[in-house]
Amino acid sequence: MACVAANDRIVLVNAQLERLFGYRREELIDQPVEILVPDAIGARHPGLWAGYVADPQPRLMGTGPELAGRRRDGSVFPADISLCAIDIDDGLLLAIAVRDVTERRRVTDLEAFTYSVAHDLRAPLRALSGFSEALLEDYGDALDDEGRDFAQRIVESSEQMATLIEDLLRLSSGTLADMQLRTIDLGAEAAEIAGELQRHDPQRRVSLAIQRPVLARADPALIRTVLQNLLENAWKFTSGQGDASIEFGATKAGDGRLCCYVRDDGPGFDPAYNDKLFQPFQRLHTTQEFSGTGVGLASVRQIVERHGGRVRAEGAIGKGAAFYFTLEAEELT
Amino acid sequence: MIDKHVLLVEDNPNDEALTLRAFKKCNIANEVVVVRDGAEALAYLLDDYGDVMLPVLILLDLKLPKVNGLEVLRQIRADPRTWHIPVIVLTTSAQEDDVVACYRLGANAYVRKPIKFSAFAEAVRAIGVFWLLLSEPMPDGVPSAPPGPRPWSAAATPDLTP
Repeated sequence: MACVAANDRIVLVNAQLERLFGYRREELIDQPVEILVPDAIGARHPGLWAGYVADPQPRLMGTGPELAGRRRDGSVFPADISLCAIDIDDGLLLAIAVRDVTERRRVTDLEAFTYSVAHDLRAPLRALSGFSEALLEDYGDALDDEGRDFAQRIVESSEQMATLIEDLLRLSSGTLADMQLRTIDLGAEAAEIAGELQRHDPQRRVSLAIQRPVLARADPALIRTVLQNLLENAWKFTSGQGDASIEFGATKAGDGRLCCYVRDDGPGFDPAYNDKLFQPFQRLHTTQEFSGTGVGLASVRQIVERHGGRVRAEGAIGKGAAFYFTLEAEELT
Repeated sequence: MIDKHVLLVEDNPNDEALTLRAFKKCNIANEVVVVRDGAEALAYLLDDYGDVMLPVLILLDLKLPKVNGLEVLRQIRADPRTWHIPVIVLTTSAQEDDVVACYRLGANAYVRKPIKFSAFAEAVRAIGVFWLLLSEPMPDGVPSAPPGPRPWSAAATPDLTP
């Protein structure tokens, strides 16, 4: 925030503006406001300024065109600028609020990219899937076994790619979604998800131990994605055994935070690959062994880190796996 | 002049072929007229050619060349001749913004095109059965005018800008 006199000289600046532009206060006071304007606009600025001073209508933050600011080191950043004129005894004083919108622009770009992935990649995929199915249906008799197998592979691969695209979009929505923190019982969420998994696979014998309540501060939709991914993984990786057990619970970590875990007695994993688990598109199993795209745990990590928490995995081959994540605990009062 | 036909607004020739195939598969006999961008759709529906039959159902894609699907929908709903025709948005996008915008503009349904053809064909069949067989259309010859702005629509929201 800065106050500038009608004659274009800076009168007042606050600490935030000093930080934003990298100047100390005394370097700015009495300087022309052009010192903060990029060269590309600088030459036209006095004219624009005079025009504004002649008819000082308030220009609200976010409604003006996206402008830019120049830092002390010469670097330029996109900015939202709003102006408001204040009449004082010795003339007009202009209050200028400047906000760096680099981050917002980055998010907008990413949103456009995601939209394009969602829309433009799916369309050709639908054609691949649709016409290879049509080929099998209408011309299946004209093909021999090998020909039908080829067409079938196209059908299956396009479905696999469709799943990949869904997962990618889910990954990006973890970054883009607005977070709304609420108090949630993670135990209740986990029980609901586990119930759905059981309903979906009624023949499976899985003993579920779910601690309730486990109260935490989190975004409900995002944290549900975390629990869903971890419980689905546990469910999936124990599918080869007659009896399985899956556990969800939480302990108080040393710093007063909540440390939640999902544990299973499945085949586990080689701890040597521990650091790969949370990377996107890394898989420790072939799709023949276990289905999946390798996005689930990356998504878990991303969401937990957005909540200011950490993720960690523990496991050994044949000894099951446990996934931990920390969250802000809801203090019981 | 084609009676009781469906208007498909679709710019992607593959999706067009798949939609037509899905119609054929489920034995829906209504003729399907295809227009390939938003401007063509508006010309087909709203330009006055005299005694032209309007479709009984419109399948509308959103991302269209020239005039996008939302604008097409807005104009369909604003015109006394077309405001009552069922419009099913049939699109790839599942963006919440798009869904909200479509319902806000008076879409009758929003269906996301599944990638798997059997699921896509089933979606088209279900749309056809419901909107062409089960649902009663607006009777012919009833004088009709588009309803006024809905209380919640953008047009009815008072301008609060200073």
